[in-house]
Amino acid sequence: MKISELGTEQGFRSLQSDYADRGLGGGYTSDLLSDVMANAKSEGVLVTIQAHKNTVAVASLIGIAAIVICNGRPVPDDMIEAARAEGVAVFHTDKSQFEVSGLLWPALGAGTEGAAPRA
Amino acid sequence: MRTRGVLADLHNHSCLSPCASLEMSPSLLARRARERGIEVLGLTDHNGALNCPAFAEACRREGIVPVFGLEACSLEEVHVLCLFGSAAAALAFGERLLGSLPRLPYDPEKLGDEVVVDADEGVLDLPDYYLGAALELGFDELCLAASGSGALVVPAHVDRPMFSVSSQLGFLPPGPYAAVEAMRDPDPSLRGGFAVVSGSDAHVPEHVGRRAFEVELDPEALAAGRSGGGAEFLAALGAALRKGAVLPSWARAGTAAGSPRAPGAA
Ligand SMILES: [Zn+2]
Ligand SMILES: [Zn+2]
Repeated sequence: MKISELGTEQGFRSLQSDYADRGLGGGYTSDLLSDVMANAKSEGVLVTIQAHKNTVAVASLIGIAAIVICNGRPVPDDMIEAARAEGVAVFHTDKSQFEVSGLLWPALGAGTEGAAPRA
Repeated sequence: MRTRGVLADLHNHSCLSPCASLEMSPSLLARRARERGIEVLGLTDHNGALNCPAFAEACRREGIVPVFGLEACSLEEVHVLCLFGSAAAALAFGERLLGSLPRLPYDPEKLGDEVVVDADEGVLDLPDYYLGAALELGFDELCLAASGSGALVVPAHVDRPMFSVSSQLGFLPPGPYAAVEAMRDPDPSLRGGFAVVSGSDAHVPEHVGRRAFEVELDPEALAAGRSGGGAEFLAALGAALRKGAVLPSWARAGTAAGSPRAPGAA
């Protein structure tokens, strides 16, 4: 599944499209950025309600390719600006993290299953 | 002006906080603090300042300099101390935050009692909304709103594994902070170059003063703080914090309590 398909296939609203479109390698769902830093994988999608510019900083630190902000949480402008500067895709949806994770699992679950968390 | 090192403890809860002990009245808090040598004492209930008027009177009786605050919980669930120079200023900011407080179902039996009291422990009010919720106000916006209202803004327990910038946001974003509060000597990514203070975060009387810090203050500012000149005192406290004239609890270990800080010590 490519990053852009989060919009075209899943119907999530793209908030920031300055990114290199490429295949996603799995995903991680969490609202605690300390947990994301410890356990998310690079080149994956992050499913979260944590709409803050630090989410982008953590994503670029790890190499997370795309962020899906769930539950219709408002996304501050400085987060979108940071994502543009870092080339991280940002999508927005009214669906919950549970729903979004379920929707993405068939396409991305294989990249996540059995993957050991980063040390 | 010659300064002296005084014990300060800016982070304490009263019976207004649903998670604090019912016996934790502002008057008991002030009494315990005086017994433990604390000269500058903060009241920081979760998302509310309704016990600040009682706290003002309680501190006056004990000869303590009061700092009127609240511990706001941002949308991201990061706790931030917002410290004011008067009960009126803290109450006004608390009133403003009420507009961003989601009205969750609140059952005092399950979530804990929230009690507004006077300085003699008489019950004045029992708010019917839950103060422990996350505000619908992002961390950056909250910090700017507080500092714009004249508060000293101190991100709380930055190194705690819950409700902190480290747990929720990974590291400290830039902001208008006077200092950061930590439980132990924190990682540089959590201090952001700001002075680090410790705080007791007391919810029960036994915890008052357990992580007090030492700060270098001008005796005139302390005198002002004791006699209603809270704004002048808050400015002096803010200047001392920004100058880094503080010794957090872990740096005080081994030094005599209340002893003046060595000039130039970090
Ligand atoms: Zn807290
Ligand atoms: Zn607290």
